Amino acid sequence: MQLWRTITTWDAPAAWNMGLDQALLESPEAPPTLRLYTWKPGALSLGYFQRFEDVPAAAQAPKVVRRITGGGAIHHQRELTFSIAVGLDDPLYAGLLGASYQRVHAVIAAALAEFGIDAQPRGERRLASDREGTGMCFHHSSALDLVWNERKGVGSAQRRKGGRVLHHGSIKLDTTPLEGDIASVADARRGVTPQEFAAVWTARLSRDLGWKLSASAPDPEERARAKQLALRFDDATFTRRR
Amino acid sequence: MRPNDRRYTQTHEWVKPDGETMLIGITDFAVRELSNGNEDDLVYCDLPEAGRVLTAGETFGEIESVKAVSDLNAPVAGEVVETNVNIEEHLEVLAKDPWNAGWMIRLRPERKSLDGLMSAEEYEKFVAAGGH
Repeated sequence: MQLWRTITTWDAPAAWNMGLDQALLESPEAPPTLRLYTWKPGALSLGYFQRFEDVPAAAQAPKVVRRITGGGAIHHQRELTFSIAVGLDDPLYAGLLGASYQRVHAVIAAALAEFGIDAQPRGERRLASDREGTGMCFHHSSALDLVWNERKGVGSAQRRKGGRVLHHGSIKLDTTPLEGDIASVADARRGVTPQEFAAVWTARLSRDLGWKLSASAPDPEERARAKQLALRFDDATFTRRR
Repeated sequence: MRPNDRRYTQTHEWVKPDGETMLIGITDFAVRELSNGNEDDLVYCDLPEAGRVLTAGETFGEIESVKAVSDLNAPVAGEVVETNVNIEEHLEVLAKDPWNAGWMIRLRPERKSLDGLMSAEEYEKFVAAGGH
């Protein structure tokens, strides 16, 4: 049975959220870590390479940060956000990139099923939630994305660095005006909280992947590094650098 | 067998001596891992300006595929004297020819030694064992 550390941080500010994820990625001695979190205020995050001007919703968001993972912009409200930080030699991430997405998404799909959602990889079809010109992650889909009701409901992206991976993801519990008509858990059940979904998902991770999860917190070094990195994520020159 | 006229890193870069300079790129394994076997999946690449001085192992650029951003690391220390700007606009070159047309930066190395880096044979074994 593989030991995993879980870190839960509810309603934290955007820059600190991104700082802690980077700190977890850059902690080579850290145990495999699953982080579950939410944002306050509900910020919009840009993909690492996105241009600020290419995301019209960024002008309406209460707070904007730039992630170190790629992909499109996400409005982090009414969702469970997760990050996984682990070595690339972990069985979850071994082999081709696509296979790692399939493994992670399979367990999310199993958790979604417990809420009455039949989530499937998109495959080759087009989605009703696909839209041009918004720069939003949930309006742009790829074959591995989890979809239901012809819409995308889970978005995730990876950063790989120094033999480790940071896998960011958003599991939508309900829609927000900035993202519009996308899939969410509310399609089957309204009012599911991030904490409720987290409990079901972590139980599935234990059952399906054989993880032994241990509730934990960032160590003092990771906290200090997160605080320091948060300064960069709070800096408009970094957020608007492209 | 991958080219044996160069050396390889564990993070899947290659470095090839070329006169007084060295060319640096990424391997076919790196490209395949990033692009999931689909060359259109590579979307962005940031490379450094000429004149930047790098230490061995330092990140000199970043590459993004549809599903992952990865660092590009310098196998050896030296000064960047040229960047293959063609790459940034034509990422498909990396999938078509990672060994020649897909070079990324030309470095004036601090030292000529490539000690500590893998030979083609060693890199083959490393990749066969999973590449991590």
